[in-house]
Amino acid sequence: MQKQQQLDQLVRSVAESGEKLNGAERRHFLKNGLALLGGAGLVSAASGVAAQAMPPGIPSWTKSLGSAVNTNPYGMPSPHEAGLQRRTVEWLTADKIASVSFTPLADLKGIITPSGVVFERYHAGLPDVDPNQHRLMIHGMVDRPLIFSMEDLMRFPSVSMIRFLECPANGGMEWRAAQMDRLQFSHGMLSCCEWTGVLLSTLLQECGVQKGAKWILAEGSDGSHMSRSIPMEKAMDDALIVYAQNGEALRPEQGYPVRLINPGWEGNTCVKWLRRLEIGDQPWYHREETSKYTDLLPSGKAREFTFVQEANSVLTNPCPEKPLTKPGKLWVEGLAWSGRGRIKHVDVSFDGGVSWREARFTSVVEPRALTRFGVEWDWNGNPALLQSRAVDETGYVQPTYSQLRDARGSSSIYHKNAIHTWKLNSDGSVVNAQLA
Amino acid sequence: MPNLHNYLITFALGASILASPMVLAAQEGRFGYGSPASAEQIAGWDIDVRPDGQGLPPGEGSVEDGEELYEEKCALCHGSFGESVSGYPALAGGGGSLTDPRPKKTVGSYWRYTSTLWDYIHRAMPFTQPESLSDDEVYAITAYVLHLNDIVDYEFVLTRDNLTEVRLPNEDNFIPDQRPDTRNKRCMKRCKDPADVKVASEAAAYVPEGGPDALYSEVEAQEDGIVTTVTGNGVYERHCALCHADGIGGAPAIGDTSAWSARIEQGLDVLYRHAIEGYSGEDGIMPPKGGFVNLSDSEVGLAVDYIVEQSQ
Ligand code: HEC
Ligand code: HEC
Repeated sequence: MQKQQQLDQLVRSVAESGEKLNGAERRHFLKNGLALLGGAGLVSAASGVAAQAMPPGIPSWTKSLGSAVNTNPYGMPSPHEAGLQRRTVEWLTADKIASVSFTPLADLKGIITPSGVVFERYHAGLPDVDPNQHRLMIHGMVDRPLIFSMEDLMRFPSVSMIRFLECPANGGMEWRAAQMDRLQFSHGMLSCCEWTGVLLSTLLQECGVQKGAKWILAEGSDGSHMSRSIPMEKAMDDALIVYAQNGEALRPEQGYPVRLINPGWEGNTCVKWLRRLEIGDQPWYHREETSKYTDLLPSGKAREFTFVQEANSVLTNPCPEKPLTKPGKLWVEGLAWSGRGRIKHVDVSFDGGVSWREARFTSVVEPRALTRFGVEWDWNGNPALLQSRAVDETGYVQPTYSQLRDARGSSSIYHKNAIHTWKLNSDGSVVNAQLA
Repeated sequence: MPNLHNYLITFALGASILASPMVLAAQEGRFGYGSPASAEQIAGWDIDVRPDGQGLPPGEGSVEDGEELYEEKCALCHGSFGESVSGYPALAGGGGSLTDPRPKKTVGSYWRYTSTLWDYIHRAMPFTQPESLSDDEVYAITAYVLHLNDIVDYEFVLTRDNLTEVRLPNEDNFIPDQRPDTRNKRCMKRCKDPADVKVASEAAAYVPEGGPDALYSEVEAQEDGIVTTVTGNGVYERHCALCHADGIGGAPAIGDTSAWSARIEQGLDVLYRHAIEGYSGEDGIMPPKGGFVNLSDSEVGLAVDYIVEQSQ
């Protein structure tokens, strides 16, 4: 009896430490750990442990005390969720300083992106900005050029809004052919947060914009001094000078201590670590609005100041990271968004666009925010081609690849919002595909 | 929002600090937060330059001086001729390529204004030491990059006064946003002929965490009823373009007929073999299957066909 108890204890501790690992690592650990114990009889004892935690058994955490309050003064996700990570694509950029990382969309629920996994895009690395010394200067065609400390900015009436943030190059690797092997890389330069700050229009009123002012240059305080020209109409509409994200101070990766958010517009215009706004009567034509972020057409002409992110959608379950395990009923879901306003409808197809079914919204439907949709489906185990198609409140319908290529060719890099196809194989695996 | 104007006035009067800036602000419907920016403070940060020359500081620099500075501070990443090193952006070349399937966008082929170049070098380069160049150095290096693009000759000296006169070849090729430029319809039933539903390209398969065990295997044997076409273009984009698009590490660039003619003369069989088994000639190392050992021989063959077709 005594010996059996010792053995049980040993098996349990092996199994528990194994739980901290994931996937293949865990299986490997269990196998080796159990081999260490030796004895064929123990294998059944080990499966006994798993059975013990589930009904009618009682797991170890139910029969013991947990750790004290404030063990983690700033709480972190469960160690079992360690797979939720931003990831990079090595070959995309020459180094990791002027580079990008992607949001793990497949593992997220609802519409809010947790601050720790919002995609990153840096042009001179992540600066370490001291909020006490950081200043925002507004000058140019204003009556009163002003300098604001963070404390000054937070005295103004604050505004909070849930809005998506998307790099216009999101999906840009797919213009010529299906390329990225998973959702994180095909659509992951996309996030959605609650942003809190002061309306840019409030600050502009404070400075007194002069007659004839039409453009604003926004500039960052990082080494790249990222600069973009923003039309005055956007500034007076909903542009927000943001100091908080999802209820707490901005994360350094998102521009701490203060950034610009132009809701629905390309992420690059939402200058981070914002230090300066200059008011002028014409755009500046800086590098990020001529060499980059212009859309080259087959004619050799390029569109400039293509700010808005048009309606787009993608299925997040299933997707390559979320294959199906067996035929039967499942909840197919995804995300839709439009830089022009609210999402009005999302339709889902299982036959490559021959027929469509309207999906249901399962989140709030905010303008210029991610919107979660879903539809029940009974998978019969046959291969299928899954698609989603968003329609926004302006009546704009997300285009097909061929419509997009007919209009813009395949060298424009930015603003690819075509209907996306997941090819579901009969083994349940899901592959990024494009239809002819 | 409460009536801020009244609120501030009442507050300010109540506190009877009549002459303060706060009161003035309140009377004008403002909050009065923040502090005035002095001319000196603005000058320290106001670095931007516009196409009309606004923002350019006094100064000048010659192509000749720029050559030396460029070699020392820029060539490491951008190449002595602006041709790009290890994937950093090319600064020269690509003239006339904007309508090609693989356009090459550089200062000479794509940029719109000379002021943009001055502004960008000044604000962001050299990459590891932004804002370290003097104004004269920025003029000189800008002049040299223009020279690398055959826009100014070797004797040229760039100054605040002549910068706006240096026009780039692509200046007139930018147009405003024309979107929405697609007109899809919200069709729900029989939107196309099922026979037309064909997969044109597929990305590599992704095996999720947990391994292939996580997939359902009992139906695995079922007929795959969908026509899948692997195209040479698709394989090329995913597996070969990273070296062959721009000629990284000595790879002959796709479409560069002179780099390919002698190779193509060897015959397709030799090219297939070199691409499948790997090959090292005078220019660099072509890893077996480009390093993607999971590719089938026929997939590599299709990509070779595609490259050859594009490079003749
Ligand atoms: C250590 C590598 C490195 C060095 C040295 C360097 N650069 Fe760069 N350069 C970069 C990177 C990286 C980028 C792209 C940055 C980005 O996309 O945000 C870039 C971009 C540029 C661009 C814009 C290219 C385009 O097509 O948009 C210009 C122009 C440029 N550099 C000029 C210079 C000059 C002039 C110097 C020397 C004074 C220099 N660079 C030194 C790495 C370097
Ligand atoms: C990591 C970079 C790299 C990748 C990826 C790559 N190549 Fe190459 N390739 C090279 C280099 C370098 C050479 C030139 C070798 C030499 O001539 O010294 C080359 C040469 C070739 C040649 C000419 C061989 C000859 O006999 O002259 C062919 C054909 C070729 N590659 C096909 C492919 C195909 C097809 C792929 C994709 C499946 C591919 N390459 C991917 C680097 C690469």
